[in-house]
Amino acid sequence: MSFLDSHLVNAIIFLPLLFAGIAALLPGLEKGQIRVTALVGMLCTLLLTLFLYLRFAPGGPEFQFEYRARWIDSLGISFHTGVDGLAVSLMLLTGFLGPLVVLASWRFIDQRVKEFHLALLLLQTAMLGTFASLDLVLFYIFWEAMLIPMYFIIGIWGSEERQRAAIKFILFTLAGSLLMLVAILTLFFISQPAGARSFDYAQIYNSLIGATRELARCTNSEAPGACASLSPLAINLRTYGPLMFLAFAIAFAVKVPMFPVHTWLPDAHVQAPAAGSIILAGVMLKMGTFGFWRYAIPYFPVAAREYRGLFGALAIVGIVYGALMCLAQRDVKRLIAYSSVSHLGFCMLGMFALTAEGASGSAYQMLNHGVSTGALFLLFGMLYERRHVRLLSDYGGIAKVMPWFSALFLIIAFSSIAVPGTNGFVGEFLVLLGTFKSSLPLLFGVVAATGVVLAAAYMLWMVQRVFFGPLTHPENLKLNDLRARELATALPFIALALGMGLLPQPFLERLAPSSSLFVARASIGMPGSQTSDQEIQIKVLELPSATSSQRAAPPTGDREPMTLPAGKYLVLPNPGQKPR
Amino acid sequence: MVPIQHYLWLAAVLFCTGMFGVLVRRNALVVFMCIELMLNAANLTFLAFARQRADNLGHVSAFFVIAVAAAEAAIGLAIVIAVFRSRGTLNIDEIRTMKH
Amino acid sequence: MAFSECLSQASLADCLQRFFATAPVDPAGMAQSLWLIIALPLAGAVVNGVFGKALGRSNTNLIACAAVAGSFLLSVLAFWTLNDPQAVLSSAYRRDPIPYAIGEDFGTWFAAGTFRAGFGLDVDHLSATMLLVVTGVSLLIHIYSTSYMGHDEGYWRYFAYLNLFVAMMLILVMADNLVLLFVGWEGVGLCSYLLIGFWYDDSAKAWAGRKAFVVNRIGDFGFLVGMMLLVLWVGALELQSRGTVAQPSADPWRVALLRSGPLNFRGLEEASRRIAPETSQITGAIPLDATIAQGPLAGFSFGSVLTAILLLFLLGAAGKSAQLPLYVWLPDAMAGPTPVSALIHAATMVTAGVYLFSRVSYLLVLSPTAMAAVALVGALTALWTALIAFAQNDIKKVLAYSTISQLGFMFMAVGLGIFWAAILHLVTHAFFKACLFLGAGSVMHGNAEETDIKKLGGLRKEMPWTWATFLIASIAISGFLIPLSGFFSKDAILHGVHSSALKGYAWVSPTVWEIGLVSAFCTAFYIGRLYLLTFEGKRAPDARVPHAHEADWVMRLPLVILAALSVLGIFYGIPLIHTSAGWETVMENFLSPVFVTARQLTRLFGTVKVEHEGSLLAAWAETWVIALAGGGLAGFLYLKYFPSPHRAPLPAERTVLHWARHKFYVDELYELLIVKPVRLASFVLYKVVDTLLIDTIAVRGTAWVTARLGSLLRYLQTGDTQSYAAVMVLALLGWAAYALFQVLR
Repeated sequence: MSFLDSHLVNAIIFLPLLFAGIAALLPGLEKGQIRVTALVGMLCTLLLTLFLYLRFAPGGPEFQFEYRARWIDSLGISFHTGVDGLAVSLMLLTGFLGPLVVLASWRFIDQRVKEFHLALLLLQTAMLGTFASLDLVLFYIFWEAMLIPMYFIIGIWGSEERQRAAIKFILFTLAGSLLMLVAILTLFFISQPAGARSFDYAQIYNSLIGATRELARCTNSEAPGACASLSPLAINLRTYGPLMFLAFAIAFAVKVPMFPVHTWLPDAHVQAPAAGSIILAGVMLKMGTFGFWRYAIPYFPVAAREYRGLFGALAIVGIVYGALMCLAQRDVKRLIAYSSVSHLGFCMLGMFALTAEGASGSAYQMLNHGVSTGALFLLFGMLYERRHVRLLSDYGGIAKVMPWFSALFLIIAFSSIAVPGTNGFVGEFLVLLGTFKSSLPLLFGVVAATGVVLAAAYMLWMVQRVFFGPLTHPENLKLNDLRARELATALPFIALALGMGLLPQPFLERLAPSSSLFVARASIGMPGSQTSDQEIQIKVLELPSATSSQRAAPPTGDREPMTLPAGKYLVLPNPGQKPR
Repeated sequence: MVPIQHYLWLAAVLFCTGMFGVLVRRNALVVFMCIELMLNAANLTFLAFARQRADNLGHVSAFFVIAVAAAEAAIGLAIVIAVFRSRGTLNIDEIRTMKH
Repeated sequence: MAFSECLSQASLADCLQRFFATAPVDPAGMAQSLWLIIALPLAGAVVNGVFGKALGRSNTNLIACAAVAGSFLLSVLAFWTLNDPQAVLSSAYRRDPIPYAIGEDFGTWFAAGTFRAGFGLDVDHLSATMLLVVTGVSLLIHIYSTSYMGHDEGYWRYFAYLNLFVAMMLILVMADNLVLLFVGWEGVGLCSYLLIGFWYDDSAKAWAGRKAFVVNRIGDFGFLVGMMLLVLWVGALELQSRGTVAQPSADPWRVALLRSGPLNFRGLEEASRRIAPETSQITGAIPLDATIAQGPLAGFSFGSVLTAILLLFLLGAAGKSAQLPLYVWLPDAMAGPTPVSALIHAATMVTAGVYLFSRVSYLLVLSPTAMAAVALVGALTALWTALIAFAQNDIKKVLAYSTISQLGFMFMAVGLGIFWAAILHLVTHAFFKACLFLGAGSVMHGNAEETDIKKLGGLRKEMPWTWATFLIASIAISGFLIPLSGFFSKDAILHGVHSSALKGYAWVSPTVWEIGLVSAFCTAFYIGRLYLLTFEGKRAPDARVPHAHEADWVMRLPLVILAALSVLGIFYGIPLIHTSAGWETVMENFLSPVFVTARQLTRLFGTVKVEHEGSLLAAWAETWVIALAGGGLAGFLYLKYFPSPHRAPLPAERTVLHWARHKFYVDELYELLIVKPVRLASFVLYKVVDTLLIDTIAVRGTAWVTARLGSLLRYLQTGDTQSYAAVMVLALLGWAAYALFQVLR
């Protein structure tokens, strides 16, 4: 791999950090300069990410553009980054949202501009790093690093009850993450023999494959003696596997968010500024689904299958419950937040269907949700900038005074409802097809499909209350339609919503190999799945050899006696000698 | 020779007296004195065992303890003086600013 | 050979026949340019939507009409091309090419796993008929709208939406697979939403649009689930029939399934050919009642799953074509501009359900249960809405209910396997219903937007053109006195229904036929009532304007053309073609290549048995008498209506009228049974589960418990150094005691 290839991902991850450094040096009162710096940084990141995306070869090896360097050898931690199909798509999404978020906050954020943009850039680095890391500790570091800037964004630049929402957000997600940390450490100790332990994603996975097969054979067969001769690793996996899976799953479920750990999301979204909401809905919620896809399910397929019905049911509940919640809301942002819960329910359902269509649909839905819900928050943010109120009853008849804005909002609303021709339809269709094709009961698919009716109901109700009808409030009469900057920010979303709906194949092509490997890994040992170890093993770079500057650790055992410099020393009597 | 148990009993009595004083007395200076008493009891124990084992290790340890006691007394008395200057009292019961 | 050359060698008739049987353009080239038919209105929509306001009224009108006119011309070309013997479609699913069809696969839309949906267009005689109807009627309505919406502010929005609608409908009609059809299906629903709520300042009108979309979505839910089950069904069929074929890999159907996706119409047609009746064993086919062995559908039989799929499709079609129980959106949709009602809710969108069933006719005839359901739904809807139409006073509402009723007729025909009659009625209905709606629009235009027919009257002299065309269209729909196109199409349905019998559901066809006759009577009655109250008699005393003014020529032209087409449509409904099977109507003959497989399967399975009971002439006479009776009763009751009815209504009449006027309270029933419970559920779930249980008790509860625990533990921090020391001493003593204890053991 060329120098460019191996360092591209690192460049992408740390470029926002570099620009954060530059922005930190600027004087705090130079708001324009800071904004421009942030925008330039984000744009450069986007360009590099786009370059990465286009260079990613769908038919090539699973993980491309890898980089690995020694970091903390004694603990088995290496700095290992690389991307597969899903990761590169999500990184593109993150890169895409970056500059648009900066543009969206151009006029809205006026206090402490420097700190805000620093937070945005740091957040960008953390998010990109999470997607690209192939080492568990590195993943965890970036994962936790995401929380701090987001906490500040919500807590400082948010609305009336921002502090409470920020604290709720961080404590909720932190609680889940701590469980994940315990699971990571357990995995570290269990999966590999002493002396060869590392936190590397691929190494842990490869060492678990054999044990997983044994365990699958044990749980699938009804013969009494099948579980007698399990290797120690398989025994450990049997006892602790479900617990570790649940630990990972809870951490990611909080992030998704799944019912019933979703209540932080409405508060966080309502109180966050528009930029915060866009990033939160656009990328951070995908961390949860990404975590399931990359870590929770492949590591513990047997446990995942055990809990498949539960999580599938929770996903369905999320779809219907989220939609029903939307119908009861009076606050627009809260409504959009609950619609997120509903959409990501589809995502999780597609994943737990464990079929190729469902997995592809789930991955595609991750991208779709980022675009359409991000756009909803963006557009509503523009309205909020003008009026600073969020209740449905404060609006009404907006289409009369802001026709262009209404048109764009309607297009995005249709994308959210999954009207064919928009991106939402492709994702939802594939998810539903995958659910029907899977071994989950048919009822799951039918209930999930009612989500489309409810989505139309609540979204059009919101559109009606806000945009149509007579103009009831005099304050709404003076609203200006979209400015050039706002139009420039919104158009990429519209273009993607329509483009991804009409030409999804380029995106699906990159996701397809990732989906098929995911399904193969998740169905190890399921009756009817024949995948060899060769197919599902993860092949990554080896650790680079120790360089000359690092001395090998001294062997434990007897040490060489230290030689003291010559000279006179006080001679102590030996123990045991009688004193004179 | 004096049997070692005498020394140990003496040291124990001194230690308990000192501990009792630390826990009960109200005057900060008296508390310090009792701490010194406890430290000296420890010293006595060290020396007794050193004598019994015919070892120098106990003596060396005693020296350590004396040095540390001296340093601790110096700093402690400095704190007591600072507290007295700001509060006007050395009654421990009245110095409770670390209460919740 | 050139036309002039031909004349020198053969007779005029022969040359004309040869001329029209030769495509003007190369069929292959035509197939590749089919996408233009959709692209033109789509481009028109985008241009008008984005730049319409800047371009000005006349430019917008021109672009919109030109786009649809271009589509119409291309449709005519496509139609013409189909008659060429060289126009064949080589489908990947079959070995032999399909005659009288052209099509092209324009690439993959999306594909995952073993599923694929492509951008493919497929035009056969059925699609070509629909193409002509859609583009032709749309063109006339576009022209009409230029004058009708001449004073509206949002004209550019209107034409953008209208063009978009046409594009979506064309996608629906030309799609070669169910997923692309679904695009058009939802797309027309979307445009319907936009156009019904066009005057969005009015909450009620905007709400009507929303109601239409949501009710349609309920149908779409059924359609979607049906599609999914169909994918599973085809997969199971392929898997289970693999064992009966010698070389599965050489079977083009199986190969194409993997490469081109399972929901292609030609593929589904091939699949239906691989189903055998219960008793016989055909090589390479699976019996209909065979049980599905593996997969999510395991345990069910192929036949029962297919019935379920078709019933779900029925739900979808009921949503789109406004049948029971999902018809409630159509009358409210009259809130939109009248040309919209004419186009969408009379001629094109609502016919999508009928088109869908005609497209999958080969699947429908495999399930007598589904056919019975379709026929019964159609019949009941026809009667129910005809009864509601009796008592409506809004001119557009009467026509709306009339549309639903006529669609019921089409469903009746489809349900009993007489697809060509349904399509014929679809075409004639498009003409006369559009004419009626446009006429209503003209009436509204000339009477200051008055829609209450009780406040109209005597327009015969004041609006002669509107009167004449409305009269012709009314006669066409009711079949009163002069049999025009509607008479023949409706009678084709009734005669066909009467002489068919469904297997296992023998009671269905007589029931449906009788209901059909009663509905025909009602049709004549309410149309007669509508016509008489609007145009005859004296002007109502509380009319808005003293004198109505006739519409301008731009609005009159489409009316005239549509009225003419309502008359000319006769020729499609009269048996003029003699074939080996007897005398066939032109439409039946024209559509026969499309329904070949359906006919074969019907014969093979014996789903529908045709028993000719009585001659065609007798059936015509019967229907004519019924129409005469209905029209006569209307005339008797309403001819002398204004200034006041000649007798007061009886109490029984009054209650019936009351119920009918309030649409039998169906909307209120739905509100009570569905809307309110969903709202209540959502409210309760929000307040109880989310806010109370999860947020307050679980989340804030955890925080509260933590805080209280902290307060309790704080009491350890006494600030008293000596108590800290005491604790240390106690711990030390405890440890010493433990160590001592361990040593002494």
